[in-house]
Amino acid sequence: MNHALVALGALASAALCPVPVACAADAPSEIRIGHLYASAGRFASISMPVHYALKLWIDQKNADGGVFVKGFGKKIPIKLVDYDDQSNTSTAATLYNQLITQDKVDILIADSGSVLTSVAVPIARDHKVMLVDPTGTGAAFFSPDNPWIALMADPVSTVWPKPVADWVSQEGPRLGIKKLAILYSTNEFTGTQANAARKFIKESGAPIEIVFDQGVPTETSNYTVLINNIRAANPDMVLHFGYAPNDIAFLRNLADSGVKFKGLFCIYPGLETDLIEKNVGEKGLQYVMTYVTSNDLAYKVDFGMDLPRFRDAWSKKYPDGKVEFGFNSIAGYTTGLVLEKALGDMASLDQGELRRAIFAQSGKLKTLDGTFGLDETGGQIGELTPLGQFTPDEHGHLKLNAIYPQDTATGKPVYPRP
Amino acid sequence: MLIYSLLSGVLFGLYFSLIGLGLNLVFGVMRIVNLAHGDFLMLGAYCAFWMYTLFGVDPVYAIPVAFVLFALIGLPLYYALVPRLLAARDPEMLSIILFFGLSQVIEALSTIAFGTSEQSIPGSELGRSLRAFVGWLAGHDIESGPIEVFGQSFPSAWVMSAIASLVAVAFVYFYLYRTRTGYLTRAVMSRRDEALATGIDVHRISAIAFGIGIALASIGGVFAPFMLGSITPAMGVDATVTSFAVIVVGSLGSPLGTVLGGLVYGVSYMLVQTYLSSWANLLPYLLLIGILLVRPSGLLGKRVRLA
Amino acid sequence: MAPVTAAFAILPSVYSNHLLLFNFVVFLTLAQGVNVIYGFTGYLPFGYVGFFGAGAYGFSLLVMHLHAPPVLALGAAGVSAVALGLLLTPLLRLSGAYFSIANLAASLAVLHFISNPNLEPITRGPYGVSLSGVFNPDLAYSIAVAVMAFALIVVVYLRNSRFGLALQAVREDAVSAASAGVDVVRVRVYAWLISSVIAGFAGGVYAWYVSVFYPETVFGSDYSIFAIVFALFGGVSTIIGPIVGVVLLYGVYNFIGFSTPQYFQLIYGALIILLVLFLPQGLISFVKRRGVDVP
Repeated sequence: MNHALVALGALASAALCPVPVACAADAPSEIRIGHLYASAGRFASISMPVHYALKLWIDQKNADGGVFVKGFGKKIPIKLVDYDDQSNTSTAATLYNQLITQDKVDILIADSGSVLTSVAVPIARDHKVMLVDPTGTGAAFFSPDNPWIALMADPVSTVWPKPVADWVSQEGPRLGIKKLAILYSTNEFTGTQANAARKFIKESGAPIEIVFDQGVPTETSNYTVLINNIRAANPDMVLHFGYAPNDIAFLRNLADSGVKFKGLFCIYPGLETDLIEKNVGEKGLQYVMTYVTSNDLAYKVDFGMDLPRFRDAWSKKYPDGKVEFGFNSIAGYTTGLVLEKALGDMASLDQGELRRAIFAQSGKLKTLDGTFGLDETGGQIGELTPLGQFTPDEHGHLKLNAIYPQDTATGKPVYPRP
Repeated sequence: MLIYSLLSGVLFGLYFSLIGLGLNLVFGVMRIVNLAHGDFLMLGAYCAFWMYTLFGVDPVYAIPVAFVLFALIGLPLYYALVPRLLAARDPEMLSIILFFGLSQVIEALSTIAFGTSEQSIPGSELGRSLRAFVGWLAGHDIESGPIEVFGQSFPSAWVMSAIASLVAVAFVYFYLYRTRTGYLTRAVMSRRDEALATGIDVHRISAIAFGIGIALASIGGVFAPFMLGSITPAMGVDATVTSFAVIVVGSLGSPLGTVLGGLVYGVSYMLVQTYLSSWANLLPYLLLIGILLVRPSGLLGKRVRLA
Repeated sequence: MAPVTAAFAILPSVYSNHLLLFNFVVFLTLAQGVNVIYGFTGYLPFGYVGFFGAGAYGFSLLVMHLHAPPVLALGAAGVSAVALGLLLTPLLRLSGAYFSIANLAASLAVLHFISNPNLEPITRGPYGVSLSGVFNPDLAYSIAVAVMAFALIVVVYLRNSRFGLALQAVREDAVSAASAGVDVVRVRVYAWLISSVIAGFAGGVYAWYVSVFYPETVFGSDYSIFAIVFALFGGVSTIIGPIVGVVLLYGVYNFIGFSTPQYFQLIYGALIILLVLFLPQGLISFVKRRGVDVP
């Protein structure tokens, strides 16, 4: 755009929108938080819990008079400005822009789910607005030349598989795991995890041979032939990295074809336990290993509610159970807690100050989601996901035990499965 | 591994044939592209799901229920949409857009009604009553579980859907070649304008074909919770694209062509999944384009090519 | 045509949701691209987004691997779209729905090809593209407006040239057009390539503007379908039709999005059904029927 146009624009906007510019020393009457959610489409099931949890946090704070901001020396109420992007990326992009340019929000929170977060990254960067990213883990978002993003509530995709890879390479050989199979869906979230897991295991130097290593399209809905092929490779342990529908299809096909692997890891049984159990059945989940999220681990907290209290607050506020409580609700609430803590440290509502304050919490903030930790690009490297396993208790009901690393373990691994 | 993939390809291919069968009939008779085909499959799947969830009905019984229900839905739907469409200047092209719109409406209403999360029916429920019956005949209980075919074991749903597919093909054959309406349907297929001139009630014939077409889709849907992992309101699009690949690979108008298309598609899909898994989803599209361009026009009907 | 270009050149200074304006410009461009191929030859490109995506990736590859300046990379966007167009020319032998289905399949094949993890070193596979060095939305917006102007000029040319007349003659009746001396195959291929280069430029400039995207973002069938529906709604084989279609329909779409997005998909689907049943020739046909000549 040429200078004449810009000048014309400045003139026009001065004439058309005479917005009074608030003096920095004056406390604003409210903090405007902008947020997108998806009530329908592919990402609805992970987006809505985050949205509901944020609303819970905001209502709680506002009932208390608002959030304390250091620079103004008092509590200021929060105003939530939110839109529904229906899981559509181009709609989301337009709405992010709306939040920044028209609604002029003080804090911008992305929709969860990497694809919906992805469109916000360049927009926030362009406007030099800090993007508060609840759970979007895409590796492409975090780069040294983009300071305007921080990941709040789960680790970047490369960090997720660390515990399972460590367990396989350190405990595996002792238990008889010599041959490993890796099957993954070829998309950013699960593909990156498979690559990272493979790399960790190879670099560990453990005497483990990868006998099957294949990526399949994310749309794959039948795994029977693949399961047969994996069985033909005769692995001691199978790692399956896929989205929830992939896990459902894989575990169901496994049950239907009567194949039992000695050890099996899947992502989603630990993240969306209710959904997977509904579709796969308790029997299909027996002895399956998975990530243990803060949904199943009660971390000691320094700030905010702990897991039981948050769960109580959730069921009190949303008694109809339409949006299921799970890891994503915790992620939404954690996002609120990080912001609350950061605001308490901010001299003004300036975006650079917001960035400084968020990064300042790294390593210091312990919430129900674990220890908040950022690397220099804004990627989350605290809040780890230990390895867990579903084992039947004496009544035959499933119980998810954390099994690795040792310091968070609540049970012993059962390998090979009986 | 090779034999297993080949046999899987045959069994799964027969299921693909079942999915494509109805679409083939509709396109063959009306020359309209039913982009909502996969959404009727999705509705059939929810029909089986709700019958099971609410009343514990064995999904096998959902097959006749879905067939009758969707055939009855198809008739008024035909009269609401198609005659008006056929009156337009370029109905074949416009049908793509029209049925895309219909597909959106069906998906939106299903999302409102059923929610977005994945649903399924336990694998052992399909054919539960059949097993009980066979067990009663044999005098001992039959366990649910994989079925042996040529020394390889496959999920029982695969075998059952393959059988259902063969029955459906036989039904369409019988309808087209052994009934009076079927005879007229074939007349409409080959020469719509002449059929009209000779006084055949083309709309009635077409409406029945349309009803049967989406009813067959819904039967494919009954097996979907077992064959496709889980079901969601958004699953229709993939099913539609697969159906197109199947019917284009086979030949239009003939149910046997659809079986052939399904088998070619199924076997090549399973082979690619085994030996080049990450390229598996490129295959249907390449197969579709390749066959469209290479296959002699005779198998695809006379009006395939122009210029 | 000049007023539309001027309007979108000036609007950013008075309305600050630039991305919304940018999307309008992209859809205005794509709708004209669809107009070229569907309005003037009768081929319905259901996989039109393939060219858009090819353009986006052509642009990105040059920027990622050769660190090319964006304007040069835009050239690559056009070239890769035309290359895809050339590769797909055999599809033009197909008629009617067969062409549309094959075109849709082709766009999906390109999507799955590009997003294959084996190509990660080249295309970044399913992990998405991130272009950091060239980020400049203001300039990208201006170029997008220029691309739109280019698309408009093309359609104006088609409306007023022998070539455009030849195309319309072929669409109405290929046999008599051929006997009147029109090289049927050649004019069709030209229209096809022109339409592909328009989408390629649009895709390139889109990649530049957003700079972080996944394969599904730039190959989403929404783009094809929106562009077709917008063009049809206004009325194809005119200049104004697609413009009216985009401004009205995409305007309504965003209005629903900002106000009550509950029944987005439902309203949209219903609108499409009603459009085909009651306005198969587009809004413009209303005016035309009253004897007004529409450019």
